[in-house]
Order: sequence, then structure tokens, then C-alpha cells
Amino acid sequence: MVIFLPREKAGELVDGLYKKVDSYHLVENLESCLACGKCVGNCPVASLTPSYNPRQIIRDVLTGNMRRWLQSEEIWRCFWCAGCYTGCPVDIHYPMLVMQLRFRAIENQYGLKYFTPFKRFALRAREDALTFAPGAKGRERIMRLRTAMGVSPWPEVSEKAVAEYKALFDMTGTTEWLNAINDEDDKPVSLTYAAGRIKDEQS
Amino acid sequence: MNRVRVVEPDQRIPEVPEAIFLFRSCTGSMEYPGTENAIKEILKLLGIEVVMDPDQTCCSGYLLTCSGYLPEFSLGVTARNMSIIEKSGLPPYVFCNGCYGYLSELTHIMEHNPAYKDMANGLIGSLGYHYKGGNNIFHVQELYYRLKDEIAGKVVRPLNGLRVGCHYGCHYLANQYGILDDGGYPAFHEELIEALGGTPVFYKERQMCCGYSVGRGFTHKEELVQPHLYKKFKSAREAGVELITTVCPGCNVALDREQPALAKKGYEFDIPVIDMGQLIALALGVPVEKLGFGANTVSVDKVLKKLGVGKGD
Amino acid sequence: MQNTAKTALVIGAGPAGIEAALKIGQAGYSVILIEKEKQIGGMVGKLCSSFPRWENPQEMLDLKTRELGKFLSNITLLTNTTLKFCEPVEKGYLVILEDSDKELNVKVDAVVLATGFDLFDASVYGEYGYGIYPGVMDALEFENQLKDWSAHKSQTEAPGAIAFFKCVGSRDRSKGNPYCSKICCMYTAKQAGLVKELFPETKCYVFYMDYRSAGKGYEEFVRSVIEEKHVHYIRGRASKVLPQNNRLLVRAEDTLMGIPIEVEVDKVVLATGVIPRKETARLVEAFGINTDQYGFIESEFGSPAKAGKRVFFAGGCNFAIELPGAQYQGAAAAAEVINLFYQDEQEER
Repeated sequence: MVIFLPREKAGELVDGLYKKVDSYHLVENLESCLACGKCVGNCPVASLTPSYNPRQIIRDVLTGNMRRWLQSEEIWRCFWCAGCYTGCPVDIHYPMLVMQLRFRAIENQYGLKYFTPFKRFALRAREDALTFAPGAKGRERIMRLRTAMGVSPWPEVSEKAVAEYKALFDMTGTTEWLNAINDEDDKPVSLTYAAGRIKDEQS
Repeated sequence: MNRVRVVEPDQRIPEVPEAIFLFRSCTGSMEYPGTENAIKEILKLLGIEVVMDPDQTCCSGYLLTCSGYLPEFSLGVTARNMSIIEKSGLPPYVFCNGCYGYLSELTHIMEHNPAYKDMANGLIGSLGYHYKGGNNIFHVQELYYRLKDEIAGKVVRPLNGLRVGCHYGCHYLANQYGILDDGGYPAFHEELIEALGGTPVFYKERQMCCGYSVGRGFTHKEELVQPHLYKKFKSAREAGVELITTVCPGCNVALDREQPALAKKGYEFDIPVIDMGQLIALALGVPVEKLGFGANTVSVDKVLKKLGVGKGD
Repeated sequence: MQNTAKTALVIGAGPAGIEAALKIGQAGYSVILIEKEKQIGGMVGKLCSSFPRWENPQEMLDLKTRELGKFLSNITLLTNTTLKFCEPVEKGYLVILEDSDKELNVKVDAVVLATGFDLFDASVYGEYGYGIYPGVMDALEFENQLKDWSAHKSQTEAPGAIAFFKCVGSRDRSKGNPYCSKICCMYTAKQAGLVKELFPETKCYVFYMDYRSAGKGYEEFVRSVIEEKHVHYIRGRASKVLPQNNRLLVRAEDTLMGIPIEVEVDKVVLATGVIPRKETARLVEAFGINTDQYGFIESEFGSPAKAGKRVFFAGGCNFAIELPGAQYQGAAAAAEVINLFYQDEQEER
């Protein structure tokens, strides 16, 4: 069976994609990338799933190829360990780029299934001014532990703090943004960077 | 940007503070409250006052990096927390690598993008706060190293050669400039272990990330995090590590709470994971019931026995 | 025609300084050639073979030493000697030269700085373990190792594998050196080629971002190392060196294939970048000349060998340079000095 691999068409490339993706101006030195691969050598995810390759994702952003990473599962795999940033000879903060790629994907409704757990946690954090505060049973356990140590049963967070945290959520439109994201709109993603590779059945 | 990479402890902390603002870590105070307590006990022994403020909120960095928050929110929250810290007049010390990384990064962004600082101040101004600027965040691990000799001098329960694998975590060393050690080959935790009478173990995968960062433990637990942790623990076990220390409650959760799941798949490691502060507190003779080891999933009893610590000590 | 009234001071007896001294001396002027070490030759004396013609550097040095020997009447060679003090005077400098037991006060009419280059200290690369794992060394240390192996080949056990990392302390903004050190691609190819000559069974891996072989015979040289000597070139800047099985594990990405790889080796050679020598910093201050932000001497507009009033320069103190280049620059600085002295003489008539 013959498989035709599609050639990249220049017409599909988005001009200035790099600036559009970096809407928060957090990765302004992306063009300094030497494509040296030092990031990938350190990446814990790449060593487990070689289809995830930070260097290739950066290249796609620079070239203007949006489709490949937007619909990929790969961008949801980054650990944010910043091992890439630590080794990078030009100090590109790649995790900040991935964070923004994920925002773009969410805007286009790709990969929402990876996002939903965090939407839940975010809305709960809005109530507590704490991240990952557990439910009733978990709270009980924590209070027991803390009391046994002779400290306050629950970490001391003032009501003012809780109210103001919530206020900041609302003032910045984060609450609205979170609530507007509907899981059912989720569009499927796939290992887009693995496409076109010869698959090794035994690996 | 400070282009100097590694600095000496007395350059990083020229004068040992008399009092510090201890920045509460959500995961630390809830999952491993013993960590927070250990720090307070150690600093009490070293004569440093610990101040906390209930008005402080979560640093908001974790969910930001999961793309779960809008950056404007986290910038506002950071500015508010920094404004509270500024008002206290004390140097801020975190005990979580996550808090360290996110606070450092977000304050750095505001320092270099005045538009962001103005936006943040606009938000918190309506709540009555103002963030002046400044982005010098410290982590208690830096203070421990700065006071290594004092700590060594106060050891009453030496570690008896306990084989300790130090887990540095990612976000302190990722800062790269103006920190205590080189992210390529850090060694200052091991120096602390030696000062406490333990045997530091430089196992091959000691610098591997804990794998939990940014919720991969929620979305890719089985396919990524577990094989990843397997590699790390295997390397630790082969090197004979008896205890892993962390300086981040997030790492502690990752390395401690995932072990039963690996054991269920047939990979049993049974390596306890505690915070560096808890280990130092043990060595300095802090009573064990103040250190909250009940919070640990993998039991710390074997280690406590080796150190000659009974339940009533 | 001999005119010993005009004297040039050449600081540094590496290939650039020797060439400058020879040309000035051969033109009939006096030269004081000072060298900090007890032997001359600079970097050349430390090399085992050269690119692109695999010539013996020691033979080249011997040739130059013989030539210097023919002009002892007007070239004074002072080893173990440094510049202690200098002061500008009319049409020249008053200098004090010192060695371990004496000082020499002399007025010179021109100065040529030829203090050469040094190698970047790779200790800042904790990820490569320089100074931590005994098998990791820099390029000069390995050159010495190659000399040792060449001399004792029959008694040496061939290493299993050697990895060469290029761009260590070059093209690295995060470590403060964004520039390309020019010669490392060539000397790495040379070193890897030499290993294969000595020990054909030893696997050699060169981890590179690019290979820069822009010179006469250079591309052919690198290709011959790859195709005839069978050195493996892997495109990917090395990420980490870890200890494994009493050997060294190298982690990198093979970027041409797009997959992360691991290779176990016995030695890692770091092609460390080129930096100016510490002595240069002191001298540029003494003579009031300009350097760039890295401490390399800057030339004046239109005069690539001139740094200041009656001060010229040649070789590695200007930037990374290969052996023939240092000699060209030495000759160019000499031409400037000779012209200057000739103009002086015309004026004095």
C-alpha cells in the first residue's frame, strides 16, 4: 500500500504567527532559537514519547504552521519542568510558550478534555483562596493532622483574602472566561507530530 | 537581568535576617503541614522570627501554568501578595519551589514590562493595595545553606550515615541567575546532608523532575508520570537511597503519593520522601510529633528507627 | 642596511609574535621579543598535528626558531619576561621589562601585542561535569592526551568511545559568550580524526550544531574525517553527561532525526571557546587601547593591525584564529611597524 505524505504548502502558513501566539509578550526571543536540541535532550517527556519535541514545536511556531500543534496532543504533555529553559543557550522560556499555545488551543476548542480538570480546580480555588483544597473528607484528615501537631486546624487564611481573591477573579474576567468554556465543544486531538513517521510496532 | 549565574550564600543573603515573612504554600500547609511547622521550629532554634499573614492568598502560579488562569489574574494576585510583603518590611521566604518559581517569574515580568505592573496596580488599587516593585524572592533552602555551619553546630541527632538522595525540584534551579548553585550539577543540598551526618547519594537520575508539575498527574498520569517516576525511583533504589528529601511540597506530593499506584503495578519502592526542613528539624532534636509524618503516604518509620527516634521523642 | 636606532617591542612569542619579530628583524630593525613562559611557541607548542594538512606543529616551530637564530644580532628574545611598566614618550614608549631576577629599562619606538588567546573555563557547564567526572576534559587537555597516546601507542589500551562536544562556551548567551570561536569545528575534526588514526576501533561521536569549515581545504578535511576515518557526527548540542556503569552517559537529541538519544562513552572532550588571555587586559589598560566587550583588542578604522598610537597587534589577542592566520597578522603588524620606522627615518633626515 502506498501512503502519500502531504507536502507543506506555503499558502497554509500563517505570517507572523509567532507574534500572535506570544500575545502576553513572555517569549520575545523565540527567533534566537538555534534549533540545537539541547532542550529535547533534557526533556523528560521527549524521552518517554519522542513524538513530543519542543524544538519542532518552536520551529512550527516560527515558520507559521499553526495547524500541526493546535490540533496536537503533544502540547498537552509538557511538564513545565523548565529543564529546557535551564539548558537553553539563548534562554528561551519554552514553558511560557506552551502555556500560550494551550490558550490558543482552548480558544479553538481543541484539547478541552485536558483542560477540564483545571477548570474545576480553578473555580474551587476561587472560593478558597487556596489551590487544591480537598473536599470534606480530605479536609477532616488535614484538620486532624494539623491539630495533632499543635497548630491551627486549618491554614489561617483571612476572610478578606478570600473575598479579594474572588474579586480579582471577577475583575480580570477569569471567572467569565472559565465558565464560558464548555467541555462538550471539545474537538479531538491526536499525536500530530507522530504522523508521517514509520511506526515501530514493537516499541 | 542579573547575568551572574552562581552566587555565594553571603552574597545572596548578605545579612542573616532577624525576622522573615514566611510565604504560605497551599500544598505545603494542607498536604504536608509538618513542613511548615518544621521550618518554624528550625528558625526558632536559630533565633529568627517567623511572621505569616492570613491576608496572603495562594501564589496562583500553579493553575496559571496549567493555562487554567488568565495571566492578568495571576499578575494581580502576585502584586497584591507582594504589596502585603512590602508592607511588612520583611524579606519574603517561600518554602515551595513552585511559589518560588511563580513569584520570581511574575514579579520579573512586572519589573520588565511596566504596562503589566500598571495593570496589576490598577486592579489591586481598587482593593486598597499598591505594589512598588522589586522581585527578590528567597527560598528557605537558601537560608539553610547560608546558616549551614550554625545548623551543623546544633545537631543533636546526627543522621548516622543515612543514605539520602536529595531532590532539588525544578523551579529553583530554573531561575539560573543569581542563585546558589548551577542547575547543571547542584550540590548544596548534599553539603547540608553531610553537615547533618548523613551520606548524600548522587544517583544517576537525581535531577529528574518529579513529574507532577502542571497537573500531568491529572491528565497524563498513567502514560507519562508513572513510567517517568519508575525511572527515577529505579535509579534511586539501585544507588541504595533510603530517604528522598524535597524542597517543594508539590514534589513531595508527586514522589510520595504516587508510590502505591506504582506498587500496585508491581513496582514496589517504599522510599520515604520528606521535606529538607523536616530532616533538619529531626537532626536538631525537634520532637517528632511536631513534624507531622502522619501526612506521609510512604511510612517514614524505618528512617525514624534508624535515627533512633521513638514515637515519644 | 642595519639601523638599530629603531626598536620594536613584541609582546608574546607565539606564532603571531614570532612572525612579527622575524619580519621586523629581517627588514633590518631591532626587535625585543618577550615571552612570559620559559619556552616560545604559544599554543602551537601544545598542539598534536594541525589542520588542514595534518602537519607537525613542532616542525613548524623548529623552523621558526632556526630563522630567529639567524637574526640574533637584531632580535633579542627574552623568555620568562613580562612587561612591568610602560609610559608614553615622544615617538614611543619607555618600558620596564622584568624577569625573575632583573629589570630592563628601554625606550621602544613601537609595540606589537601578540598575547594570544586562552580557553574558556568549562566549569560553569555543570551539566557536562567538567571538574567533576575525571573523564571530562577540555580541548587543550585532550590535545595533551593525544600527544601522550601518540608517544605510547603500543602501551595504551584503546578507549571504547569518545564524545566531542562543540560550542562549549561559544554561541551561548546564557553563559555570556554569544560569539562563535571559529576554530573549534576544525580542531575537533582534527582531534577525532587523530583518535581514529591511533585507535581505529574506538567509536568517536561529535555533537555539533553546525560545522564551520570555511577555509582552503577545510571542508574536504572535515568530510574526510567523517567519510574516511568514520567519525560519527550527530547534529544536536549535548544536553547532559551522567555517570553510568563507571563510564559516562551522554544525553542529546539527534535533531536530524528528531529523537532524543543516549550514548555511553569513556571520555568527553569539550571544544571550549576562545577568550582573551588575562594578561591582555592589563596590557590594553597600560597602553590605553580599545577592546570589545569580551576583552579582545579592537582595531582602528581602516587599519586592521593597528590598535593605538604606535601600538599594533596580531593573532589570538584580536580574536580566535588558526595558525596561518596568526602568521598573516604577525606579518601585517610587522609591515605597519616597518613602514612607521621608515617614515620616522624620513622625517629625521
